[in-house]
Amino acid sequence: MKSTTRNKVRLIFPALAAGLLFASPATAQLKVVTSTTDLADIATQVGGNKVTVRHIGEGYQDPHFIEAKPSFVLQLRNADIWAFVGLELEAGWMPLLLNGARNRKINPGGAGYVDVSKVIPLLDVPSGQVDRSQGDVHALGNPHYWLDPQNGRRIARLFQRKFSEMDPANAATYATNTTAFEAKLSSAERAWQPQLALIRGKPVVAWHTSWRYLANYTKVNIVGFMEPKPGVPPSPAHLAGLIQTVRRTGAKVIIMEPFYSRKTADFVASKTGIKVLVLPPSVGGVRGLNDYVALMKSDIEKLAAAVQ
Amino acid sequence: MRRSFFLCALATIGPVALAAQATPTPKRDSAARADSVSRADSIALVRELEQMQSAGAPDTTGSRGTSQQSASNPRLLPDISVVGDFIADASPRGSTQEDGTRLGVRELEVAFQAAVDPYFRGDVFLGISDEEGIAIEQAYLTATALPAQLEARLGRFLMPFGKQNTTHRHDLHAIEYPYVIQSFFGPEGLKGTGIYLSRVFAPFGFYQEVIATAVDRFGERDESLVTREPANRKLGGLGYSARLRNYFDLSQAANVEVSFSGITGKREQPMLELPSDDPDGEPLNGYNQRQSVVAVDVTYRWRPLQQGLYKSFILQGELMQQRNPDVTIPELLGPTGDRVGGYAFARYQIGRRSFLGARYDFVDAESSADGNTTAASGYYEFFPSEFSKLVAGYERYMAGGGAKGINRLILQAAFSLGPHKPHPF
Repeated sequence: MKSTTRNKVRLIFPALAAGLLFASPATAQLKVVTSTTDLADIATQVGGNKVTVRHIGEGYQDPHFIEAKPSFVLQLRNADIWAFVGLELEAGWMPLLLNGARNRKINPGGAGYVDVSKVIPLLDVPSGQVDRSQGDVHALGNPHYWLDPQNGRRIARLFQRKFSEMDPANAATYATNTTAFEAKLSSAERAWQPQLALIRGKPVVAWHTSWRYLANYTKVNIVGFMEPKPGVPPSPAHLAGLIQTVRRTGAKVIIMEPFYSRKTADFVASKTGIKVLVLPPSVGGVRGLNDYVALMKSDIEKLAAAVQ
Repeated sequence: MRRSFFLCALATIGPVALAAQATPTPKRDSAARADSVSRADSIALVRELEQMQSAGAPDTTGSRGTSQQSASNPRLLPDISVVGDFIADASPRGSTQEDGTRLGVRELEVAFQAAVDPYFRGDVFLGISDEEGIAIEQAYLTATALPAQLEARLGRFLMPFGKQNTTHRHDLHAIEYPYVIQSFFGPEGLKGTGIYLSRVFAPFGFYQEVIATAVDRFGERDESLVTREPANRKLGGLGYSARLRNYFDLSQAANVEVSFSGITGKREQPMLELPSDDPDGEPLNGYNQRQSVVAVDVTYRWRPLQQGLYKSFILQGELMQQRNPDVTIPELLGPTGDRVGGYAFARYQIGRRSFLGARYDFVDAESSADGNTTAASGYYEFFPSEFSKLVAGYERYMAGGGAKGINRLILQAAFSLGPHKPHPF
């Protein structure tokens, strides 16, 4: 009896060990954590069911000022990939989370540390001396690049390469998904051409420099910013000048994010008749706007309607 | 050249634009240079950057390659930052500062931080003040490549004990550490030199972290005390601490942390003077006595995500108990028995850059003959930007034991130079 039991044990343990050894890689999904919802959605589109994707910031939240909550550390400590916007957008919270996560894979130098900005042609890159008298200027360039659909493609291709590198078994799936994402984006771009024609050259005011990439894509003409300097709240003196700018240029719209108080924009509107357009800068910025292509479509349509 | 032009434009047009606000006229409406474009503002900066870019400097082909990467830190220099902390004491009955100044530089902190190699990160914080000259505030090596998600530090660090003690003084929401920390550990909080080991885990689904340290000594050495032997001569005399952090998300906007800390070690305490064992030695006026402190701290935070730039609230409290042996020898003048102290603190954000705070402190006296210390204070904080802050604080301080209360009015200005630091959480 004893020897039978021993034999069973002898058989069961190797079988279990072999099962664990060979079963785990087949069912494992890449665990991806992104800093923003936009990156999360594109990662999901590219990764499909081969990846699990979570994000730190919400679409209706200012990505500069996310709190480094310890619960985010739990998300990051087992992540295979940490993809972030870069250009110091996350400088106020990312170091605390990465240090707390103690996950070498996603720290600088690790295979899963993905600074997405590395594949983006940037706007507003200072080539001379930069200091904080210029406000919260990003010394490496403007980080709000996902608001240009061309950059959406670049992000998808980066994710395809990274996922394939870390999970070569599913490289074909990632390639197929990326092609599908790009086709969906191209189809949407063709559909919104009439709106782009309406927007082109129209003067607008933006709250923050975050709308520079959207303006670059749509050719809308940003003639002034609500912020006197990046990240600095509007002062009365600046608003006085801005009101004159609006009157002089005939700007039709103030574009602003949902996380800024619109009181000041409403004040400028009351003095000039300009419209205030609250546009979500990210996926999830308003309820129901849950994917990247829908975000771009919604922003372009709303902008086209507002500048008329 | 272009920047000089903008600065000149700002200097010239700024006053004009200010006047324009007061008395707007149609004439000024037509003045092209009185609008925002003419100033050194966001749009001017963007235009300037556009021109630089069109001049062909950066690569816009899709892969920036090494040109931009190398621009950020071409010589592998460490991050260097400086924090200035200035205090003005406008208390009606004279300065209440340790050094007696009405206007003073409380401290300059110079920090050097960088990865040492693939395995370690180095952090050095030097404190510079008139009182202490240059002092090593913190200097530690962090092992970043340990297995099992462990983190180890070696060097001098702020002791992971309680909540506020882990925050640099200039980063506090109030101007000074709570009195319980000042009384139990010193005005600059508790630091230690030794080994720090921490591990994050989540067996119950929420964040937990345990941190243990072994340090050369518990608290700073009192140079005026001469003891028969150093407090740390035996291993039992070193300082040992442990902290368990428990963090819960109550919702997306609210969270709470409940943590427990403990520290024990031998500390020098005063006694009536005795002749030294060594005929040539100084007379003894101190002895080593074990002291332990246990603490619980609770922090509730609320910050709605969408309105997070404008609204937030923190409610925090710490309760500490200092444990000393019940010594009845009259020559020994150190603390006996247990002492309790704590504080409750609240801070509410009233605008994008403005906060109101209040704190109530209490600390038991070292001996029953002295009265307990209590203090109530209020603060107004204004942040011109992330890199500077101005604080005005009023405090009513009661030393107890029949002493008259003291009114304190203190102003603080602090600024930070250098790389963008993470915001303390």
